[in-house]
Amino acid sequence: MDEQPGLSDEYRKASPWPLFVAFGLAIFEVGIVWPLFPVAVGGLLLFVGSVVGILRESGYIANPWKGLVAASVVCLAAGGLIALTTTGSVHLRGVAILAGGVFGSIWQPESV
Amino acid sequence: MAEVGQIALTVVMGGILFAVATFLTRIEDWRSYRPLASGGGYVGERTGRTHHEEKPAGIVRWLTTVDHKDIGMLYGVYGLVAFAFGGVAVLLMRAELAVPEEAFIGANFYNSLLTTHGITMLFLFGTPIIAAFGNYFVPLLIGADDMAFPRINAIAFWLLPPAAILIWAGFPLATLTGGEVEPAQTAWTMYTPLSAEQANPGVDLMLLGLHLSGVSATMGAINFIATIFTERGEEVDWANLDIFSWTMLTQSGLILFAFPLLGSVLVMLLLDRNFGTTFFTVEGGGAVLYQHLFWFFGHPEVYILVLPPMGLVSLILPRFSGRKLFGFKFVVYSTLAIGVLSFGVWAHHMFSVGMDPRIRASFMAVSLAIAIPSAVKVFNWITTMWNGRLRLTAPMLFCIGFVQNFIIGGVTGVFLASIPVDLVLHDTYYVVGHFHFIVMGAIAVAGFAGIYYWFPLYTGRMYQKTLAKIHFWLTMIGSNVTFIAMLVLGYGGMPRRYATYLPQFAALHVVATVGAFVMAFGQLVFVYNLVVSWLEGPRVESGDPWNLEEDGMLTHEWTWFERKRETDLALTDGGERVEDPRTSKDE
Repeated sequence: MDEQPGLSDEYRKASPWPLFVAFGLAIFEVGIVWPLFPVAVGGLLLFVGSVVGILRESGYIANPWKGLVAASVVCLAAGGLIALTTTGSVHLRGVAILAGGVFGSIWQPESV
Repeated sequence: MAEVGQIALTVVMGGILFAVATFLTRIEDWRSYRPLASGGGYVGERTGRTHHEEKPAGIVRWLTTVDHKDIGMLYGVYGLVAFAFGGVAVLLMRAELAVPEEAFIGANFYNSLLTTHGITMLFLFGTPIIAAFGNYFVPLLIGADDMAFPRINAIAFWLLPPAAILIWAGFPLATLTGGEVEPAQTAWTMYTPLSAEQANPGVDLMLLGLHLSGVSATMGAINFIATIFTERGEEVDWANLDIFSWTMLTQSGLILFAFPLLGSVLVMLLLDRNFGTTFFTVEGGGAVLYQHLFWFFGHPEVYILVLPPMGLVSLILPRFSGRKLFGFKFVVYSTLAIGVLSFGVWAHHMFSVGMDPRIRASFMAVSLAIAIPSAVKVFNWITTMWNGRLRLTAPMLFCIGFVQNFIIGGVTGVFLASIPVDLVLHDTYYVVGHFHFIVMGAIAVAGFAGIYYWFPLYTGRMYQKTLAKIHFWLTMIGSNVTFIAMLVLGYGGMPRRYATYLPQFAALHVVATVGAFVMAFGQLVFVYNLVVSWLEGPRVESGDPWNLEEDGMLTHEWTWFERKRETDLALTDGGERVEDPRTSKDE
């Protein structure tokens, strides 16, 4: 379709984040349920990173660091709780969330 | 496999994240909207052209768009692809059912197709195709700049492709893993204990995919509610809100209350399957608990699927009858009444499980009562056409086809709502015939009406009218032949869901199979018409291709279209209109 000068053409109508928010959530879910450790960690990073990205883009947060650190802390707490209180495959899933938190607090894409 | 596999997966995930990060560094500088801090919404707000930039080109435009019209188109394409997948699945099943014994695809594959056909048509075709119309047209109809939350809109759409991949993944994975992972064979209702005890990991994938589609539908619903409440143009109030937006609003309310429940049930089922919980086991909540929770979602889902198509028909049908919708207010009231009542009928799917007869009777009463608002709508459509100046264009034909099929589907439903009849007909093809009259005969047919009605608006071209009418007749004949045969099979006692059957049912099954293939041929005509007309159909030469103006029934979206055409013309050839000999106007 051609470009449409019309009602809503006064602002930019594109954002890179929604795609990755959605895919991140899907990849994380599969990783946790199946359980595939690297998939869960990667999906979590993609999901949380994109959520923080989209929040910054839309002006809900000014500083991406705060968002990322807050998200990491939540992951550390949730993952740690699950990892400490369970055993076996559930334990592994908790560790995956924990690892996502650790990675998230020490690494962030340059773009953010 | 274990360690090598883990390392390989880690490398793959690292690669994906790196690719995403690289991609983002290239385009993150985009700023879609002004930050909320600077004043919030855009109703009536004109920010001038300072923020205007072109959308990115090519595939990136479609991957990153948050424009409601683009997202509407994405939903539409997605819905049609899913419709094709579900359609191919059912053709394979109908081919197997042409003979009584297992002859073609085998019972297990039949069960997989049965499951995927139901899930695909309801969650990957039905809900998204409605969202397609909603996204494209609700903001235009109510005079909004865009949806209330454009990014959430995009997230809701992009959850759907992974959902489809997960739901369909069992088929390729069965080949790739040599049968270790199989497509789910649970039927679309996923009743426990069957779904809880099948060890097949393909079931987990399907549940996850379904969960994602539910998250997507909920996000979309919140967006529609917020849009219709807060983004209406100044001249649009509740009294003159169009009927399609009313049905979308009601549907979104239903989604908001029903889909989170589906999400919870699916999570409980996943926990039962993978984490040793006992929500639906005999020693826990039991199988009937599952059925109650599932149908508390499942029955509103029926109205989630049917209300917006009813809105489409209520919008389109008067425009080719030359008359306003008869009893507009009562059509709105009946929509709201159906919305409320739909949460009080779920147990009519479970009359035969052994509930307390007093509870059962109350569900029968409410189920019968829901026929009243539905009939109000039917009578209003008929009285709208009565003494009208009917123009039998393709969208109008599909609207009339909708009414016809909805009457058959609805009346058979009234019989099923009655306990004594239901106990005889439960789990037979009668039920299958009943809901296919509604889902295919009515909902999909109303979708076709919408696709043809707005075809000039979203393509700027006109479809081929003869092909559209061939599509209509093949769909109508095919659906009635197939589904009436199913109703009769049900009277004869043919049970649902089986790949094989007793020879006495053979003749009617052949009839149903022939009807299904007639319908399928009609859809081929449809796809051909859509693609060819989109690429080379005659351009429409007016912002009012259906001549609605002369009946005083032009709606906002066509005035928007006229404005867009004028801007386009001004941009391309300085406003001079070139007469195209193939120019098309109305019928």
